[in-house]
Amino acid sequence: MRSFLLKRSSLRPLLISQNPKPPNPVFHTSQSNSTYIYGSTIRDWMSSNGYSQINKYSNGYDRFVANSISTRCFSSQGAAVDEQQPKSSDGLTVDRIVSSGWAILEEGEGDWKSHAAAIAQSIQLIKRRLQWRKLMVRLEMLSVELNKPNIWDDPVHAGNISREHGSLLGKMKGVNGFERELLEHIDMLKLAKEENDAELELESMKALLNMRRSVKEKELEALLAGEQDPCSCFIEVQAGAGGTESMDWASMIMNMYKMWANNRGYKVTVVDEMAGEIAGIKRATIKVDGEYAFGYAKAEVGVHRLVRISPFDSGKRRHTSFAAVAVIPILGGSSSHFQINESDLRIERFRAGGAGGQHVNTTESAVRIIHIPTGVTATCQNERSQHQNKAMAMAVLQSRLDQLEMARQAQLNAQHTQSLTDISWGNQIRTYVLHPYRMVKDLRTNYEVSDPDSVLEGDIDGFILSFLSASLDKDEDNS
Amino acid sequence: MGETESDTGKTDKTIFNTEETRFVVISWERWVEIASEVGQGNKMVRICFSSSIRQTLYPSARFVKYLQKPLPTKSSSSSSSSFSTTPLFLRPPIHSASFPDLKNWQDWAKHLALSVGPKFVEADNGPDADLLCRELKWLLQDAVVDDENDAGFVKLRADLEEMYALWTQRIEERRPFQYLVGCEHWRDLVLCVQEGVLIPRPETEHIVDMVEEVICEDEGMREGLWVDLGTGSGALAVGIGRMLGDGGRLIATDLSPVAGSVTAFNVRRYGLQDKVDVRLGSWFEPLQDVNGKPVGLVSNPPYIPGDHIFGLQAEVARHEPRIALDGGENGMDALLHLCEGAATLMKPGGFFALETNGEKQPEFLVDFMTSKMKGRFRDVRVVSDFAGVQRFVSGFCC
Ligand SMILES: C[S@@+](CC[C@H](N)C(=O)[O-])C[C@H]1O[C@@H](n2cnc3c(N)ncnc32)[C@H](O)[C@@H]1O
Repeated sequence: MRSFLLKRSSLRPLLISQNPKPPNPVFHTSQSNSTYIYGSTIRDWMSSNGYSQINKYSNGYDRFVANSISTRCFSSQGAAVDEQQPKSSDGLTVDRIVSSGWAILEEGEGDWKSHAAAIAQSIQLIKRRLQWRKLMVRLEMLSVELNKPNIWDDPVHAGNISREHGSLLGKMKGVNGFERELLEHIDMLKLAKEENDAELELESMKALLNMRRSVKEKELEALLAGEQDPCSCFIEVQAGAGGTESMDWASMIMNMYKMWANNRGYKVTVVDEMAGEIAGIKRATIKVDGEYAFGYAKAEVGVHRLVRISPFDSGKRRHTSFAAVAVIPILGGSSSHFQINESDLRIERFRAGGAGGQHVNTTESAVRIIHIPTGVTATCQNERSQHQNKAMAMAVLQSRLDQLEMARQAQLNAQHTQSLTDISWGNQIRTYVLHPYRMVKDLRTNYEVSDPDSVLEGDIDGFILSFLSASLDKDEDNS
Repeated sequence: MGETESDTGKTDKTIFNTEETRFVVISWERWVEIASEVGQGNKMVRICFSSSIRQTLYPSARFVKYLQKPLPTKSSSSSSSSFSTTPLFLRPPIHSASFPDLKNWQDWAKHLALSVGPKFVEADNGPDADLLCRELKWLLQDAVVDDENDAGFVKLRADLEEMYALWTQRIEERRPFQYLVGCEHWRDLVLCVQEGVLIPRPETEHIVDMVEEVICEDEGMREGLWVDLGTGSGALAVGIGRMLGDGGRLIATDLSPVAGSVTAFNVRRYGLQDKVDVRLGSWFEPLQDVNGKPVGLVSNPPYIPGDHIFGLQAEVARHEPRIALDGGENGMDALLHLCEGAATLMKPGGFFALETNGEKQPEFLVDFMTSKMKGRFRDVRVVSDFAGVQRFVSGFCC
């Protein structure tokens, strides 16, 4: 116990001023309920779903949370990091709280130790999800870089460094803030007990309970702490080999994402769509607008496999089809973009027939843009004017080039960023079986669901969250 | 709908009211009466000759649009616009349909579109079924108001009966989609169009890009006077008008009164009435008072050789105004006239851009300007559109 014990009245303000609240933006502000935009719902309605807009949003999320709680493992942090941790007046740290193995009881039960242990556990999980050790190393590196005297000779580079530094620093301070807050509450509680101050004790317990809840929420947010996670994104689906069968599957998958995005309150715009001759799509690109669209959708990158009795096979045989999914973040204004040189672009109107101009009146104004040095192309045909098709194609192109550039940078820095684990179309990630049994199983996490219909109606959050947590936990363990 | 007392004490049947305008159906007699009053210049009203379509729908009536008397406190521009048919997307959503009914309509329309197959493509390079299906989607986009509260029902800007009629016209009469919905998305604008005015083409968007480039290089151009000759729906006028600075002005001219009123409507819709002036008359005729002033001239004049018009796709040949397409025997009448006039009208150093048919015309024009009119133009060049067709001729006056 500190020797300078003061009367409660003077102590409280002191504690508060010594330990100001953590800076506000910790990881991310919770999911905004962005507006349900007219275009997307109508389009949805007009698409093959008939007119019964399904608003069922069943609880993959809850299911997942329950799951993750029971399977989570609590490895303790390294000793080196332990040294820098905030301590309570009697030398308690978050790690020590965890390792002392206090029983974690339901919120309504138990004493302060139960709350403290739950909070400490959450903080550890958050740290793991933020890839804490890598974060510290990177932060150190960036600080060194920023302190170089000539850093501003290259303002673009300097801007990037300082932006990343700022964002990592914010995360670190956020977590440290939690640690301090927890220990403060504990100190306060012990003080109250010592002084037999029932009122203060009750207050501190309440504060601890509140913190327990809010930190629990932050656990989930920490899954989306990647630099690009808050971005909107493009989702692209491409049919695998196998003709109509796969094209039909590709359109089912695309539909799944449209419904998922709608349910989340994101705005969906079809950018480009190449229909199959008989059914389905050869490929399609949609734009998904909204906070954290990329953070979630990135978990879907890879090949999706379907097993079913083919509706296109008169012999009623079982077929396996494949569709590949790619997800590209749309970097915000503050991010560094790949610099596109006007003169490197070839802009073509495609499917333009005949003499054009006054001779022709067509509502078709599709545009393709080719970035000549890289051969990367982008197409848009779904807007109502050529100008807007061009603008949208340009946006797609920019994002594709940004992504290429990020991959290149990541290789250069040998820096592993979670969003870049699978930049390409990737490996097979999930199987959807409609026959002879019914199941959807993620091959990366083994997470599975026995109701393929709900999944194909967009209920994929369980898959997404289990993948995100699995990949982050795995990463930290391997480092 | 309702009976409204007009300024002259007569009653007109109001069909549509907005804050500043009132659309009424009136008899032929009343039409003549108002027209004469307007002639005397004492009426805040502009009249629009209604399109042939509307005349067949309402044989004895004409549409006019009143400008409601401006409140004395409000400053208002006298350049009112008249526009006889309200574009679908601007109509109030006063109709509704049940989901199943609308779905039936959609199925019917889709079926009709698919039944076209490659027929139109083969006949005259018209739209294929895919394109028609996309248009159908856009028609719904314009007609349907998405209102989640109204479970089971959708609000519509046109009743289902009209929706059936519209789509029938699209397929059976090949009436252009843009006339059905009364608008065309062009650049980042939504321009209102109607029969009697050319539907702006995607190629023409590029002229605005060319102007933007010039303006970015020479900021003085932003504050100068621009002219758009043969403005049609006012596409170029609005597109360029929006880029001009506080001192910049644009005069849009056309021979066709329908074009004049549609342009005025679009100009107002984009709040450009103080920047863009709409004048009726043939080419340079209405520009006598600004001789030597314009720093920029753009035009997409009629350039199709007269006897080619009947071979064009039905949407164009049957429905778009001939005056907007017919460029005389070799299509060059207007273009040559514009070259000659530009040299006199423009301020030295002024920029011009003209659209051509993309075949022999651009070459011919360049030759004409650099040899026959030697010394009057500089930096004359041919610019291609995105389909790779040599579409435009641009340059500067000396
Ligand atoms: C091809 S349209 C172009 C319309 C519009 N500028 C556009 O690009 O969409 C040609 C326009 O020239 C107008 N026009 C034809 N003869 C004219 C004349 N003698 N004087 C002025 N305008 C004329 C037509 O009415 C028509 O609106």
